[in-house]
Amino acid sequence: MTAITASGIAQKEERKPGYYVKFNLFALAIIIMAVMFAAFRLYQQAFAWESGLDATSPEFDKYWMTLVKIELPLFVLAWVVCWSYLWITRDRNLAALGPREELRRYFYFTFWLVAYTFAIYFIGSFFAEGDGVWHQTVIRDTSFTPSHNVLFYACIPTYIFFSVGGFLYAMTRLPAFSRGISVAHVLAVLGPVLILPNLGFNEWGHAYWMTEEIFSHPLHWGFVVLGWNALALPGVALQMIQRMVPLFQELFGEAQQQSA
Amino acid sequence: MSPNTREVLAVSGLSPEAAKLSRIWEWFVVAAVALLFMGAIHLHVMLSVGDWDMFVDWKDRQFWVLVTPVSMIMIPAALQGVFWHYFRLPIGATLGALLLIIAVWISRLVGWHLWGYFPFSMSIPATMLAGAMALDAILLIVRNPLLTATFGGFVFALLFYPSNWASLAPYFLAVEHQGMVASVADLIGYTFPRAGTPEYIRVIERGTLRTFEGTSVWVSTAFAGFLCIFMHMIWWRIGMAFSTQRFVPNGKRMRQMMGLN
Repeated sequence: MTAITASGIAQKEERKPGYYVKFNLFALAIIIMAVMFAAFRLYQQAFAWESGLDATSPEFDKYWMTLVKIELPLFVLAWVVCWSYLWITRDRNLAALGPREELRRYFYFTFWLVAYTFAIYFIGSFFAEGDGVWHQTVIRDTSFTPSHNVLFYACIPTYIFFSVGGFLYAMTRLPAFSRGISVAHVLAVLGPVLILPNLGFNEWGHAYWMTEEIFSHPLHWGFVVLGWNALALPGVALQMIQRMVPLFQELFGEAQQQSA
Repeated sequence: MSPNTREVLAVSGLSPEAAKLSRIWEWFVVAAVALLFMGAIHLHVMLSVGDWDMFVDWKDRQFWVLVTPVSMIMIPAALQGVFWHYFRLPIGATLGALLLIIAVWISRLVGWHLWGYFPFSMSIPATMLAGAMALDAILLIVRNPLLTATFGGFVFALLFYPSNWASLAPYFLAVEHQGMVASVADLIGYTFPRAGTPEYIRVIERGTLRTFEGTSVWVSTAFAGFLCIFMHMIWWRIGMAFSTQRFVPNGKRMRQMMGLN
């Protein structure tokens, strides 16, 4: 049901894009991620060749294992805090949600997805090929290398934060995504999330077989198949469009009639 | 407001505020599509045919020409299906190839060059842009997925080697190395051994490859074209299947928790 505002000024406010699109939290998330990824890359530049060549050395422990010991608990804590917050503060009366608030939430949901894709780029392309650089030059000794300690134990948890967070946001705040589970959204979240446990298979294989780090080795194809799930995100966008179009017509159709 | 803008608004039936809001959302979708597929296509290519693409001296006549187009057509074909079916935009394949080459070049600069200290001339990536543009152009002309796969898929692979020839030609120059003839690419391989090099070279340079000589490139290309036809058919459908808009209804208890009953 359309929420009717008390005054004309308020109505005018509600027709402005700024009423629906609040960039603050989104911009903060992007800035934090950009700074974090830049810091990781600079850290690699400074300490990878100098202290990251031998996993048994004290220098490796100091510079690279300390990083893992800091980043992993921090990400797990961030998951628990964010996802719990989203669930606890869920909308418990979605049936009464007005179109203005619903449209506003669709924009917030879009921000979750864009932040997720921002992380996906750095994981799927930037740091993943960085891992290729490392292995083609140094091979590997253990599962902990300067490239893995950034890619596996920091970057992958980052996109899991946003993918699961976006899923919970949609499920707890948008009626269409709450009445039913979006198959495309499940695929888009689950595929990349499963890359983390697939690391177990990958590292298990590398522990037994000398693949000489051929990147196209079948051992790596689990990542490839799970990465294909990115193709499901257009399905989520289409589901959003199907609900946003009627919302636009309801809100701005009414506004046009009033202004006429 | 320009007359063009007024005309667009009249056709869409949106108020200027609504049109602006809609356009903001579309820009976010553009950003998401670009970032998502830069990551996803690069990951796919890197882990399926990455070794051939990473170094200039690994671009052989038998497998590089065969497997690279076959791998690189997959996600562009899926994108082509989604963009064409839902939006009638014949841009999916070109978009995929463009995002891939942008992502790869960033990595070649920041990873291979600045971190691994490999010279640029050693790690130039292959491009599929020409084949992808032809694929989209064929779709635009024939407006049919089956014909696009049949003709476009083959052309996609056919254009791979010629469109990369300009960047590779200097490395075929013959040089004398320890009394024997080698190419510049071979010399690079001797000078910069990499983790996967020995096994890789043993795998590719055997059998009758040398008796086929230069024609082996076109034999591989034709085979790649044959495979790309079917890859395109399969991946067009995979793209459509993944972009399903289906919801599985939640149970009563779940709906109650959200106040939907």
